[in-house]
Amino acid sequence: MDIDGEGEGEARQVQVRFVTKLQHPYKVQQTSISIPANLTRFRLSALVNNLLFTTNEDWTTEPFDFLIDGELVRMSLEEFLIAKGISAEKVLEIEYIKAVAPRKQETPSLHDDWVSAVDGSSDGYILTGCYDGFGRIWKAGGVCTHVLDGHSGPLTSVCNLMPKVDSIADQVVATGSKDRTLRLWKFGEEDPIDQPKKIRSVKILRGHTGAVQSIAAIPSSDMLCSGSWDCTINLWNTSTTDTNDSVSVKKRKKEGQDMEALSEGDAITTLVGHTQCISSVVWPQRETIYSGSWDHSIRRWDVETGKDSFNMSCGKAINSLSVGGESSALIAAGGSDPVLRVWDPRKPGTLSPIFQFSSHSSWISSCKWHDKSWYHLVSASFDGKVMLWDLRTAWPLAVIDTHGDKVLCADWWKGDSVISGGADSKLCISSGVPVL
Amino acid sequence: MRSKRNLTSSDEKDLQKRKEDNLVEIEKRIEEAETSSDDSPFVSDFEDSENDDNETLIGDEGSTDESGSQESELSDSEDEDAVQSSDDDEGDDNAVYANDDKDSVEDNNHSSDSEVDEHDNVGVEDNIDGSDDSREIVEESDSSEDEVAPRNTIGDVPLKWYKDEEHIGYDLSGKKIKKKEKTSKLDSFLARTDDAKSWRKIIDEYNDEEVNLTKEEINLIRRMMDSKAPHADFDPHPSYIDWFTWDGAKHPLSNAPEPKRRFIPSKWDAKKVVKYVRAIRSGQIKLDDKPKEEPKFYDLWGEASSADRQGLAYIPAPKPKLPGHEESYNPSLEYIPTQEEINAYQLMFEEDRPKFIPKQYTSLRSVPAYEKAVQETFDRCLDLYLCPRVHKKRINIDPESLKPKLPNPRNLKPYPTTCYLEYRGHKGPVVTISAESTGQWLASGSKDGTVRIWEVETGRCLQIWDIGEPINEVEWNPELPILAVAAGQDVFILKTRCGNDEHQKKIEDLLHVQPQVGADDSDTNESIVNWVQDDTHGGIRLKHFKTVTKVEWHRKGDYLSTLMPSGESRSVLVHQLSKKLTQRIPFKTKGIHVTSAFHPTRSMFFAATKKDVRVYDLLKQKLVKKLEPGVREISSLAIHPGGDNAIVGSKDGKLCWFDMDLSSKPYKVLRCHGKDITSVAYHRSYPLFVSSSDDCTAYVFHGMVYSDLNQNPLIVPLEILRGHSSFDGRGVMDCKFHPRQPWLFTAGADSLIKLYCH
Repeated sequence: MDIDGEGEGEARQVQVRFVTKLQHPYKVQQTSISIPANLTRFRLSALVNNLLFTTNEDWTTEPFDFLIDGELVRMSLEEFLIAKGISAEKVLEIEYIKAVAPRKQETPSLHDDWVSAVDGSSDGYILTGCYDGFGRIWKAGGVCTHVLDGHSGPLTSVCNLMPKVDSIADQVVATGSKDRTLRLWKFGEEDPIDQPKKIRSVKILRGHTGAVQSIAAIPSSDMLCSGSWDCTINLWNTSTTDTNDSVSVKKRKKEGQDMEALSEGDAITTLVGHTQCISSVVWPQRETIYSGSWDHSIRRWDVETGKDSFNMSCGKAINSLSVGGESSALIAAGGSDPVLRVWDPRKPGTLSPIFQFSSHSSWISSCKWHDKSWYHLVSASFDGKVMLWDLRTAWPLAVIDTHGDKVLCADWWKGDSVISGGADSKLCISSGVPVL
Repeated sequence: MRSKRNLTSSDEKDLQKRKEDNLVEIEKRIEEAETSSDDSPFVSDFEDSENDDNETLIGDEGSTDESGSQESELSDSEDEDAVQSSDDDEGDDNAVYANDDKDSVEDNNHSSDSEVDEHDNVGVEDNIDGSDDSREIVEESDSSEDEVAPRNTIGDVPLKWYKDEEHIGYDLSGKKIKKKEKTSKLDSFLARTDDAKSWRKIIDEYNDEEVNLTKEEINLIRRMMDSKAPHADFDPHPSYIDWFTWDGAKHPLSNAPEPKRRFIPSKWDAKKVVKYVRAIRSGQIKLDDKPKEEPKFYDLWGEASSADRQGLAYIPAPKPKLPGHEESYNPSLEYIPTQEEINAYQLMFEEDRPKFIPKQYTSLRSVPAYEKAVQETFDRCLDLYLCPRVHKKRINIDPESLKPKLPNPRNLKPYPTTCYLEYRGHKGPVVTISAESTGQWLASGSKDGTVRIWEVETGRCLQIWDIGEPINEVEWNPELPILAVAAGQDVFILKTRCGNDEHQKKIEDLLHVQPQVGADDSDTNESIVNWVQDDTHGGIRLKHFKTVTKVEWHRKGDYLSTLMPSGESRSVLVHQLSKKLTQRIPFKTKGIHVTSAFHPTRSMFFAATKKDVRVYDLLKQKLVKKLEPGVREISSLAIHPGGDNAIVGSKDGKLCWFDMDLSSKPYKVLRCHGKDITSVAYHRSYPLFVSSSDDCTAYVFHGMVYSDLNQNPLIVPLEILRGHSSFDGRGVMDCKFHPRQPWLFTAGADSLIKLYCH
């Protein structure tokens, strides 16, 4: 009788056991409990927090995300089980992880013009490129320490050549600009001054006949590659110390300034094949370069031979490309439509993307894999939003809507922050993203 | 045996009487047999007819036995005569008896009687009709089996003679038999309903008693009613026993051959059948006897069936109008015209006046005769008689099948569908746009007097010139990053900061005008155009004498054509940038020019007036072709990159596709826009073309031109692009394709430029 009478009103119960890979303070008892099946992520999170609170008195609430069979729960538990065809009779193992969403928005760092490029590969600082032709170094707390002064056109791409080096004095960064040149920069000893220090470039790399759109370097190496509007990818030598191999050494005399040695470099190799603007280049391993172009193709280049070993047509003009994910082999790309696509080039015989994320409403200007996680991606779009993605669900994990205009670039910083720059001249930092 | 037969022959008169009703006899006999076994007195109505027999038979029972056997003997001997075999009578008879004795076992009471019966029945088979009499005699003899004492002896007289008497007759001893008291009908009815077996009871009025029928008797009656033999044991078809043997028994009786009629169908039957068949065919004999249903009412207004008509095609007369509510004798008030209306009818022309004025009557009876009845009937007859009638041929075609078979737009991807980027900044309607040949930059001119250069990928405005006058046209040079701008009476050729150093150097050289050039020009070209260095905007300024509406670069980037609609004979000018020279088109032109275009590959020039498009050969300096779109006013013109096709947009919203090899008339006219077409454009590499209109839409079409000359171009409408809002009656003012991507730029009167991507 009670089954008939009360079972109607209440939701079904499922036996669950919460497991986690998180360390001690986050662990709950491994006993199975019975919970109503209509719980959503939010209520599950509250439940786990309650469980943790019972064991630990000074527990502060922490949002959690839940995984069942390697898939993030994005609807009520019951619907999820029905959709996935999982039996509700057995004890369900739910793994919980910390919810990947920014906990804090730092005060945005204001620029003089559109922020077109950002690099967060070094933990100590953020490197930004701006449409006013200056590159900037930002320390945590929104302090600009250095201004890279030298380009005559808007910067389009910036790159840390030695992200692993801690001391800023040894850092070398590269910038690409619409003035068709690339420049390498070095920082002197750090001075505790209020004004940002203006530094001049140490090397100019000339050779492109069109605007440089994207540059990429292989970490801890002296090579740099750049994609340009002249449909070529150039490889450059970035060694700044020995000027012997550089073709010409010019001494430039500036009024009121001391003499400055400015070495110029030429391209080592040119990779030709694309028919339109190369909007994005990535150099993940020593021997391969990936490039995305407006001619609707993504190519993989063999650095040794200079030939493209893989040519994939994807139907849309590519704006941004990122290689990462599972064993650093997946290609994520965004382009002239609101869909972020992920391909697996190891899959033979198919060119269809394995994941498609389509929550944006305009062009995707930038996308980037998290360099530690296999699952997490950040994407920026002209609709003014930055979105965090997890391959295990089709919905965005978080939408960062702090920009008031087009977002032009986005990157991860320090593994737990998302930095993005846009047409509102702001560099936004969303910190406290517990990816790992 | 003989003497016994004589004894019985004395009853001959009775026998004759018996012969009359044969069935009664048989029934009687069987009833007797039943009753005798049952010992229940069975009396029936026909008992009276046997009265005499009863007397005699009861008198000597033994003699009846004898007569029976003797009778059968007689019949037997007659059979023997027929087969002509003389045998000993006695012996034969004995044999019969012996045989019958075995058969008759059940009736012990009167074994002899039944034996005779059985024997007789056996004999019936071979007897012919004549022997019936003798058998009945036998039956009569054994029918007297009444042992019950008080029996009526009145004989075969009508019972009504005793109706009023107290008695019903006399018994054997001559005493009166008293009538029994009648029970009332109600009582008898009640008794009947109570008694389940009452249906077996019948009243014997002759003896005035109730008789209960036994089961056997009822079965007997039933069998007789089914016209079967009454006795259950009676076999009507016993197998023939041939008692005799003779030598030729295995031979047929007759030696005659079998007659033919035994095995051929009868000729007369065949004749009869043929007669019937003929009668059926001619319809004299109807096999379906269902009466044909006649329609009850004649359908006066129904469609006249012309199926049964022969000869000329029958054209039914047009139906007169059916009477409606207003013809009713009591129409609703709204049908009845007021007096003013009736008066107004008088002022109308005779033809316009209504023929019938509805009027209200209290009853149908008070409706007068229709005064125009004869006139109208006559008119109608005249109409039917004098007006020739023809069949209206209706073609039954599915309208869907008339639609051209077009491929699915999904298979014709890519083409622009969605607006993702907007270029904001202009303060007034954007009149003209132009995309740079690499697709990196976009130039736009607006009514607010500014020319802007945009970065396509981000929508950033890179450069602004404030010309001060409304811009009519901007056009990128196809080779160098320089811009030709038509504003007011001037054409500016502007340097842009785009392009690399090499380009910049070239541009510097090219856009340098000697200040004294004007003196040189004065004698040759009567100073149609002044080439002046313009330092404020950075470039050259070409001063024209009338408003310039159109500039276009030749594909090599050295020549520039300008168009002044009100310039009359000098309305179309061609400038050479490298030599800073200006010349007018070396042929006579007619009308006011609207737009012009260079041929994309050959040295030909298109000049469009309001009515037609003329194609000139620049080398031979003559008119090659004239295209006549047949529209109200041409507004725009675009040449297919292949050079053999052109589209012309008009101010009445029509878009005409010309296949110039085919005809000077349009190959296809697309009426899709509700307002003026402002601009048309072909894509440089994709098979796409577009038309933009003041109704704030741009239509994207698939326009495939095949290299096979026999195949006509394929035109498929793909997409309607909306998004611009109307301003001051203008909608989309210009549209250009991205030179390399299947993207479309549209310039709107709402001062926006939109980029539609695939």
